[in-house]
Amino acid sequence: MPAAGTPSAEESLAERVAAVVTAHPAVARLHGGAFGAVATYLPGRRLIGVRVGASGEPVELGVVVRLGYPLPPVVRTLRREVSALCGGVPVDITVADLDVPAEAIGAPAGPARPAQQSTSVPASSP
Amino acid sequence: MTQSSGSQSSGNTPARLADDTSQGKTSIAASVVQKIAGIAAREISGVHSMGGGVSRAFGAIRERIPGGGTGASNIAGVQVEVGEKQAAVDLDLVVEYGASIVDLARAVRRNVISAVERMTGLEVIEVNIAVNDIHLPNEDRGGDEQPVPVAPARVE
Repeated sequence: MPAAGTPSAEESLAERVAAVVTAHPAVARLHGGAFGAVATYLPGRRLIGVRVGASGEPVELGVVVRLGYPLPPVVRTLRREVSALCGGVPVDITVADLDVPAEAIGAPAGPARPAQQSTSVPASSP
Repeated sequence: MTQSSGSQSSGNTPARLADDTSQGKTSIAASVVQKIAGIAAREISGVHSMGGGVSRAFGAIRERIPGGGTGASNIAGVQVEVGEKQAAVDLDLVVEYGASIVDLARAVRRNVISAVERMTGLEVIEVNIAVNDIHLPNEDRGGDEQPVPVAPARVE
């Protein structure tokens, strides 16, 4: 972690929260939420995906989750861990997106790319 | 996620994310539900692809617009409405020739509901399925349709 002078308590808390959240195997990365507002201003940079308000205010998190992890347990775990770090305040979590390899979704139907459309269709007779 | 055999009772209430309101809110973006629904629909054998009709044209156009494909609606053929506790899904499908469309739709609906409920904890209140086209086996050469040649504009 960069030692940029003495960060305020709030700033280092945001960084610790970010570390805990990104350490979870289901979390692909942090995300700024619908309007990019979920962020904390640190010296020299903006930490996207974590917002620690004044004491007593809920902590906000924005995450992108990996495919294959059911959300309710992930959200519960993140909430519990972050709330414990922040002294028991409520934690608002936004799951902003799902990290999915492009092949799993497939190309849209249409004249564009016939080669890519066959990944999820089994080559069996109907 | 394998196709379900036996009972798929969605009387099985999924974990309610909204129960945690005292500990904080949980919001799930529409793109998350869209991707899960799209993957679940494609898993059913007999679904050729997603999209068709108007959304197919939009999908093809949107790919060519820089930045146009990054929103939640870049998953062709899947539209969702997501609330705090519930979700509704609209699917546009192109089916393979030879599949019983009624059975196929039923299987798609079941798989989408179970995938979304299990993966997000939201209750799926409806899944509308529109079968827009059928893919014939000898159509694979060069795409499903002849691309319509666009006439150059006659006026400036």
